[in-house]
Amino acid sequence: MKEQPPSTPRSELGRRNLLKATGLGLAAAPALAACGRGFGGGGDDESGDGVTLNMVWWGDATRAEKTQAALDIFIEANPDIKIEVEYQDSGPYQDKLATRFAAGDAPDLMAMRMDSLREYADRGALLDLNEYGDDIDLSGLSDNAASLAEVDGSVFGVPAGLNAVGFVIRKDFAEQYGVEVPDGNTWSWDDLGAFAQAISDASGKEVYGTGFDVQTLQNIVVWVRQQGEDLFTEDGQFGATEATVEAWLTMADGLRQSGAYPPAGFFEEIGGGPEASYIAQGKLASQIIPTNNFLGYNEACGGNLVLLRIPGEAQAVRRGQSIDCPHLWSVAADSKHPKEAVKLLEFLTNDPEASIATGTTRGVPANESVAEEIKDSLEPDDQVATEYLMGLQGEDLPRSYTYPPGGSAIADFLDVIAVEVEFGRQTAAEGAAQFVAEAKAAIAG
Amino acid sequence: MSVDTESAVMPGAVAPPAPQVKRRRGARKDRAGYLFLLPWFIGMLFTIVPFFASLYLAFTDYNLLNAPKWIGLENFTAMFRDPVLLKSLQVTFIYTFVSVPLSLAAALGVAMILNRGIKGLPWYRAVFYLPSLLGASVAVVLLWRYVFGLDGIVNAFLGWFGVPAVSWTSDPDYALTTLIILHIWTFGSPMVIFLAGLRQIPVMYYEAAAVDGASKWRRFRSITLPLLSPIIFFNLIQSLIASFQTFTQGFVMNNGGGGPANSTLFYNLYLYQQGFNQFNMGYASAMAWTLLVIIAVFTALTFFTAKYWVNYDS
Amino acid sequence: MSSTLQTPRAAKPDEDADAHIERFGSTRKSRFTRHMILCVIGLVMMYPLLWLVSSSVKPNGLIFSDLSLWPAEWSPSNYTEGWTALEWDFSVYFTNSIVIVVLSIIGNLFSCSLAAYGFARLNFTGRKLFFALMLGTMMLPGHVLLIPQYILFAKLGWLNTYYPLLVPNFLATNAFYIFLMVQFMRSLPQELDDAARIDGCGPFRTFWSIILPLCRPAFATTAIFTFISVWNEFFGPLLYLTDPELYTVPLALRQFIDSEGQSQWGQMFAMSVLSLAPIVGFFIAGQKYLVKGIATTGLK
Repeated sequence: MKEQPPSTPRSELGRRNLLKATGLGLAAAPALAACGRGFGGGGDDESGDGVTLNMVWWGDATRAEKTQAALDIFIEANPDIKIEVEYQDSGPYQDKLATRFAAGDAPDLMAMRMDSLREYADRGALLDLNEYGDDIDLSGLSDNAASLAEVDGSVFGVPAGLNAVGFVIRKDFAEQYGVEVPDGNTWSWDDLGAFAQAISDASGKEVYGTGFDVQTLQNIVVWVRQQGEDLFTEDGQFGATEATVEAWLTMADGLRQSGAYPPAGFFEEIGGGPEASYIAQGKLASQIIPTNNFLGYNEACGGNLVLLRIPGEAQAVRRGQSIDCPHLWSVAADSKHPKEAVKLLEFLTNDPEASIATGTTRGVPANESVAEEIKDSLEPDDQVATEYLMGLQGEDLPRSYTYPPGGSAIADFLDVIAVEVEFGRQTAAEGAAQFVAEAKAAIAG
Repeated sequence: MSVDTESAVMPGAVAPPAPQVKRRRGARKDRAGYLFLLPWFIGMLFTIVPFFASLYLAFTDYNLLNAPKWIGLENFTAMFRDPVLLKSLQVTFIYTFVSVPLSLAAALGVAMILNRGIKGLPWYRAVFYLPSLLGASVAVVLLWRYVFGLDGIVNAFLGWFGVPAVSWTSDPDYALTTLIILHIWTFGSPMVIFLAGLRQIPVMYYEAAAVDGASKWRRFRSITLPLLSPIIFFNLIQSLIASFQTFTQGFVMNNGGGGPANSTLFYNLYLYQQGFNQFNMGYASAMAWTLLVIIAVFTALTFFTAKYWVNYDS
Repeated sequence: MSSTLQTPRAAKPDEDADAHIERFGSTRKSRFTRHMILCVIGLVMMYPLLWLVSSSVKPNGLIFSDLSLWPAEWSPSNYTEGWTALEWDFSVYFTNSIVIVVLSIIGNLFSCSLAAYGFARLNFTGRKLFFALMLGTMMLPGHVLLIPQYILFAKLGWLNTYYPLLVPNFLATNAFYIFLMVQFMRSLPQELDDAARIDGCGPFRTFWSIILPLCRPAFATTAIFTFISVWNEFFGPLLYLTDPELYTVPLALRQFIDSEGQSQWGQMFAMSVLSLAPIVGFFIAGQKYLVKGIATTGLK
């Protein structure tokens, strides 16, 4: 009834046990080290003098390396300030940031998204930099840039870099299918339509002429401005009219029907960055991208991209493009070391050394003279993007207003009705009406 | 004074004689139980406090940054008027009541096949468990696009039968289907549990039945099912509870969003969006407690029906 | 009892039991069809893993354009570069994960088995109520507990340590495993307990010597599932660990990704493949215990 274990010669057992023991022993050392760290052993250097700043941002390891390089320069110049950094990917970052604030454990300096700025600022969570006007000099920023973080006269952050949206076209496809690339400074939406139609027709829909996102706020906001309205107004209201939204949806739908734009359901929303994008895979000939990603996209497209302005700028009632930023640097209102945090912020914004180290990972440096200074040290693609942006900065563009509280839900609303209209489950008019109603309710509520 | 729980459950039961002896025995029994549960009791502190904190938050307007403000039942009434929330309930219900039975059936089916002793059994088991390991990881999600995309494998396969290509992942009518399939594909977890349960059924029952000339189906119905019923029950309850709370698949598949036209906006996902993206933690807490009630109701129903089909060997 | 059933069959290693069962009603044809079905299903299961492995040796640019399983270009440097790409070597992250996982498994096995025995076999005041409460803890979506828990752990001073991740496991907070073990224990015949009591065993003795050994499949299951869920856990470590040197593998993997820019997919996939190895290995090793049936039914 009892199991008989296979008989093992004594030496085998001994050797096996010895191997096991050695293995365990080798593993034990690093394991013990991990235990030591993990249970509060290490990292408890409470040096009496000196200040420790906690700085957090989102991005990946590459961006972190560059940022750390800049921080190292600062630390050398300020030996009594230590900087503890942390970074995550954008989604987890937001969750952790919100949790930390809720627990009263906010970081000193943090990356702040434009769409959540007012959620934090309106509730008193962020430091008004006007109070530290002596420690930080924002005069090197253009008006448009400086006002990005302005809410009712208070300044709650500094743009970490500047970007805008741009239209990229694959000139290799244009050449291949014998279609001329339009002039980026003067083309209209009709010109885009014609270009896209020509490509789609010539390639037999193997390559669609254009595939810009219909459902992202950063694209529709340009259109809305061109019609003379503001998606989010200066006093935090929703300013787009039904007619404008309907026109946007109708325009895209028209392109879809004629084949210039891919059919319903073509795009899958799975992310994956520039390498995974449809334009890189050769299914699209053009789309809208944020300019600070130009390097990534151009690389993925084999260097075949040209950067144009958004169509319709020359013909519209009003300019549609604006200067934006991927994120702001903000200081927590409850920071225990606001002066030091602001000092660091001053360094990051105005010291060319910082920008040379970080490059354009967060966009073009907000300080115009710094941007000019580092331009030559950038990669060619980044130079293209930088010049594009600086060209825009020199012009008289509308201000980009911050999202009012409740504003980030509006992005979701647009996403939903865009798909409904795309699949014909709603007409453009119905979709526009629903969107405007929901948006207004979200801001009011 | 310790009340014997058995008699409490059966009203009208006669009080046992010699209450003195009973009480002492009862007290000792109690003590053993409490001792075994001691870690659990301490652990409950870590769970209970946040638990009831969230219940309190459900009645407040809490934006994470300022102190919560009491608003009574407003969150709950707002829930009824929220079309997106109702949509998310619909999505979650459909998902649960389709994918739970299907995945359990698949799990049981494969477990039965594997239990019959195949050469290379450990390898098959590991292979079938693999999807559960990968779960809703980034790799799987990226791959799903290729499989279910407009020019993906599934459409190619369907094309052989003349079925027109469908954009499975971005068509609002079909997006949920891909997630249901993803869920069924990860049947590895309940399968492993079924396998463990099947192994606990004494071989001799099958031997005796075979000797008596019972057919495969008869053996399944009369031996396997009844003896496996506690495990089936466990997997059923477990899947129900987990399925109502589906989050990760929807979250990763659509980059934190609710899918095309919110067609994969699970209740739990919408809850997370409200709490962490919209800074509406009070509303999210109200949603959470409502879900708890819903789950509790279905769980209680299942427990109630358990009387009729679950066999404990006691 | 007939003579053939006199001595309940002891559990033998896989092969014997399998061969024995196999003898009942399986022809060569049915065995073949079974293998075929399993193979086909198996390939479907394996496909994503194969894709992952093949992507891990492709250069970044090709991962999304070249869909075949055989890479057009090989880039095994994804492994070597990925290992050292982050602030710390992946050996640090792997060690951290292993430490947390091993401790979690021990904690779960210890505390959940105790609680399960209490619920399954012992009678005490409030048992049904506590059982319902235990089940109830599984029904609340975790997101609303995040902030109160974070505040609780912050007040205890446990931020940036492993305590918030480990202590709950030693305190039977995982209702899933308790429930699992309860079900397994309840399906064991009550006669075992009665026999033990007649022999004079107290509840602990019964627990330790009789019930525990028979619950090996449940324990193996708990160990395997704990391993996998703790190994893959992202949110807990995300919130509670600030010092990158403490990071676990999932956190580290996420740092390859920049959802708004370029990510290092190749390296991330390479490290993901490495990260899968311990889980698969543990599963294969633990399977053995999963299948050891009960030694005896205990019937005299």
